[in-house]
Amino acid sequence: MKRGLLWFGLAGLVLAGQAAAKSHFVIVGGLGGEARYAKQWSESVDGLNETCRKTAGDDALVHVLKGKAATKEAIEAVFAGLRRETAPSDIVSVFLIGHGSYDGHEYRFNIPGRDLTAAEIKGLLDSLPAKDQLIAITTSSSGASVEELKADRRIVITATKSAGERTVTVFAEHWVEALRDAEADTNKDEVITALEAFTYADKKVQDFYALDKRMATEHARLEGELAASFTLTRLGSALDAASDPKLRPLLERRGGIERRIAELKNRKDAMETAAYTSELQKLLVELARTQAEIDTASGRDEQ
Amino acid sequence: MKRRRFFSGLLMLALLPLLVSAPAQTPKVVIQVDGPADPTPGRDAALKTCDEFVDRGRRAEGRNCFSRLLNEHGDTFVQAEAAWALRDMQRANELFRDVVERRPRDPYARVRWGYLYLETHSAAEAAKLFKEALTIDENYAPAKLGTATILANRFEGKALDLVNEALATDPNLSESYVLLAGMAIEEHDYETAEEHIAKGLAKAEELGDSPLEFYTLRASLDLLRGKEDSEWTRKALEHNPSYGRIYADPAHFYVITRRYREATALLRKAIEVDPELWTAHADLAVNLLRQGREEEGRRHLEIAYKGDPFSPQTTNWLRLLDSFPNYETISNKDDVVLGTAAEVEAAASKPEIVLKLHDKEAAILRPYVMQLADESVETFLKKYNFRPRLPVQIEFYPDHDDFAVRTMGMPGLGLLGVTFGYVVAMDSPSGRSPGSFHWGTTLWHELAHVFTLEATDHLVPRWYSEGLSMYEEWHARPGWGERISTDFLEAMKEDKLLPVADLDKGFVRPRYPSQVAVSYFQAGLVCQLIADEWGFPKLVELLNGFAKPISTADNFAAVLGFPSEEFDEKFEKYLENRFGELIEKLPEFRKAMKKALVAAKAKDWDAVLGPAAEAQDIYPDYVQSANAYVVLSTAYSELGDMEGAVEQLKQYQARGGKNPLHIKKLAAWLNELERRPEAIDALTGLIYITPGDPEVHVLLGEWLLEEGRSAEAVREFSTHLATKPLDLAGAHFNLARAYHKMEDSENTRKHLLSALEAAPNYRPAQKLLLKIID
Repeated sequence: MKRGLLWFGLAGLVLAGQAAAKSHFVIVGGLGGEARYAKQWSESVDGLNETCRKTAGDDALVHVLKGKAATKEAIEAVFAGLRRETAPSDIVSVFLIGHGSYDGHEYRFNIPGRDLTAAEIKGLLDSLPAKDQLIAITTSSSGASVEELKADRRIVITATKSAGERTVTVFAEHWVEALRDAEADTNKDEVITALEAFTYADKKVQDFYALDKRMATEHARLEGELAASFTLTRLGSALDAASDPKLRPLLERRGGIERRIAELKNRKDAMETAAYTSELQKLLVELARTQAEIDTASGRDEQ
Repeated sequence: MKRRRFFSGLLMLALLPLLVSAPAQTPKVVIQVDGPADPTPGRDAALKTCDEFVDRGRRAEGRNCFSRLLNEHGDTFVQAEAAWALRDMQRANELFRDVVERRPRDPYARVRWGYLYLETHSAAEAAKLFKEALTIDENYAPAKLGTATILANRFEGKALDLVNEALATDPNLSESYVLLAGMAIEEHDYETAEEHIAKGLAKAEELGDSPLEFYTLRASLDLLRGKEDSEWTRKALEHNPSYGRIYADPAHFYVITRRYREATALLRKAIEVDPELWTAHADLAVNLLRQGREEEGRRHLEIAYKGDPFSPQTTNWLRLLDSFPNYETISNKDDVVLGTAAEVEAAASKPEIVLKLHDKEAAILRPYVMQLADESVETFLKKYNFRPRLPVQIEFYPDHDDFAVRTMGMPGLGLLGVTFGYVVAMDSPSGRSPGSFHWGTTLWHELAHVFTLEATDHLVPRWYSEGLSMYEEWHARPGWGERISTDFLEAMKEDKLLPVADLDKGFVRPRYPSQVAVSYFQAGLVCQLIADEWGFPKLVELLNGFAKPISTADNFAAVLGFPSEEFDEKFEKYLENRFGELIEKLPEFRKAMKKALVAAKAKDWDAVLGPAAEAQDIYPDYVQSANAYVVLSTAYSELGDMEGAVEQLKQYQARGGKNPLHIKKLAAWLNELERRPEAIDALTGLIYITPGDPEVHVLLGEWLLEEGRSAEAVREFSTHLATKPLDLAGAHFNLARAYHKMEDSENTRKHLLSALEAAPNYRPAQKLLLKIID
């Protein structure tokens, strides 16, 4: 409930605020071990790359390392570049795909050469000027990294709840889908937030095990208060509209209506059903009309 | 004195893991040993003195006698027996452990300890102890009898050989006759049973053992032969006025022939005679629950639990009852029918169907289960000219363990569903892997049992009821019903099929592992032959003939006009014509299929075509894994022949293929080929396999909407919404669109508001909202 309210309260502001910020992505495919996993990780990395490039709007903002190239040195070099290129208002999303392990002391992301430990990943993330960060580690044992990686404005997503879940995970493939499937955009604002993507991937993983009557060997985790407002990817033309200055008054009006709807929903339990429905319909019609104006003004009314 | 009790069914829980892990196996009723029954001659004289009191119903004296032995006797073995008789099972267990440690080479102590385990619902531990006794002395008859008891409890054919071995080794082991007679009665071989009882009774009298078990078996025979006022009942009660088992034990034979009402009446008498007969309370409860009488059932379960807290069956039943508030009860009379006066009247006159569905899936299953149940009841009502006298209750269990608890006590039971008369219980499709279970077929099969059981007041033999259910499931819809298995073909080849007059034995006590499944097919094919050769009305005549006590042989002779042996000859020819060539060519089928699969693995699609088609030609009904249809479909699609690929998958589904992935692919291909109605049919068929798959309902809804079948689209979109999809807004919007097409403005508005409440910026929903309010 709190997360939902937070989103409704912040949606307009976040979109406006993030419009000027850049989204940077780092995608790393670790060691596959067996050929089938190598292929699987490679496909996941490619899928994320494609989606992130569309969202970033600039290929230079998406950094991809996979296979033999995904060494510790190469990853450090990417972060060195990000230290120079990112502004404090930017947002950075890091996806680590592959196998992970826990040696009883620390989590390790398995890559060619020396593995990357949770402490080293933390060091890399802490070093960036951009503090709005998301790191998604889709490996086995990834839950062991959460405590190390947690930070104020950082969202941490892992495929497993703890170090003990050591079996190969299926989270990655659903995470890739979560970033590009419109079904993940549950509030239909054409933006997929970290919370929406996580909820989608988590449900798909649960369905996978439940449908096949298998014992679930992975339970995903999400840490970070800002997940509901953290824009991961955009569908359609949401960003274009948000970045057009001439639409700003309409967008502000829309944001106001959205807040009123959120407030109304907050009062739902205390209201008579008929009164609530009537008020809701009034606001929704107002919002629909405002959206229609936005679409007309931005030349997208046929969409 | 021997006080073993026959067939209460209360050890079923001990077998539960077996049933769960091997669903093709048959659940079994077990023999319960109640009290320190001693199958060995030469029981300690001190114990025999105390036994005598109990045998005569002088319980207080018996208790005092055993208490003295427990406190004062110097032999730990005697103390163990006394503790057992006093129902202090833990102490008896400790004492037996002590005895066995002290007498490592004594098979007798191990056997007695084994029986204690058997009584406390631990058949596996009992079997270990009997095995240990046989390791000490491989010819030790009481250990063989103990093992035979466990096997008989599981309705395993090997029990008979073992008990005969025991008897050959020790002719004084009169308990053997109890087991032999019981098994013969279960197989309806009353004459043999009578012989065993006579021999056993003579032996008991010779040895001065209690005659009560033999009286009970004789009373059971009288009852089964229709003689309710048995002299043996009187004799037993004269011997021991509080001998409740004279009523409780015969109830077992009614239960295994599904005559629950008669069993209930006997169990009531049993607790009247002996209110402390906890097993009878438990059995009575289970029978009441089978008849849908939950409140009274619970009361007796609670009494049983207080008296015997060790019974896992009672505990599990109470737990299951506690979960019943999580089930929704839905009647086909709940919905108000709108229409003409004739339509309203027709709806009101339909037999009542009550569904009991778990909360978490009731909204998903309800429309499909109710529609199919309604249709099957209507069909059977006309075909069998029998109208249900009570509401038909259908229970779906999403947790297979709950279903197992619900159904225990049925020998030879396929674990997909069970019919207790007007109550049908079955696995929910959500309790099984997608593609492994066709719930539509199972429901149709079980509802046929409702008619065959109730039309004959449960007198129909098991094989005929199963045969008609198999026949009906094969004719319910194209592709429905279990296909003839290779096990059946092997059994036919090896001449293992039973004469029709003995077909019940294939269900009750299978002689080989697949015999129950083979007997299902055989029974179905017998019905198929009768319908084909002499017409369906003969099947109904046979059923009506079974409404009174009559053997299969006599009923066949009366209805078909020739002896059952002649039928067997005709049946053999029928099978030969139908499957003879297939059996002969099975090795060729396997060879061709292997060749096709090797080519498919190498992606040599041209090379797949010939051998796969050959395999298909030999065994067209083979739709299990690695079948020719799917391989050919893949080959055709890879070779660019989509029509060919589609035809293969259509055949796959029409012949009973259940894999959801293949059926979804078929639907998608049909849609791409603009064969929308067929695509809709393919997906609709999938609902009877995976009703909870949201993708199926969304796709089906969309296609139905595009085809102008808006009301059906509403059903599909409603089901999708019931699956609690992530995209709640999308699900409501789909419903709004469907209602909008139906010009149902109220529901359109309702679902639009729900969609936009979840996703205020959902543009398509916003546009429709503006459209309907402007």
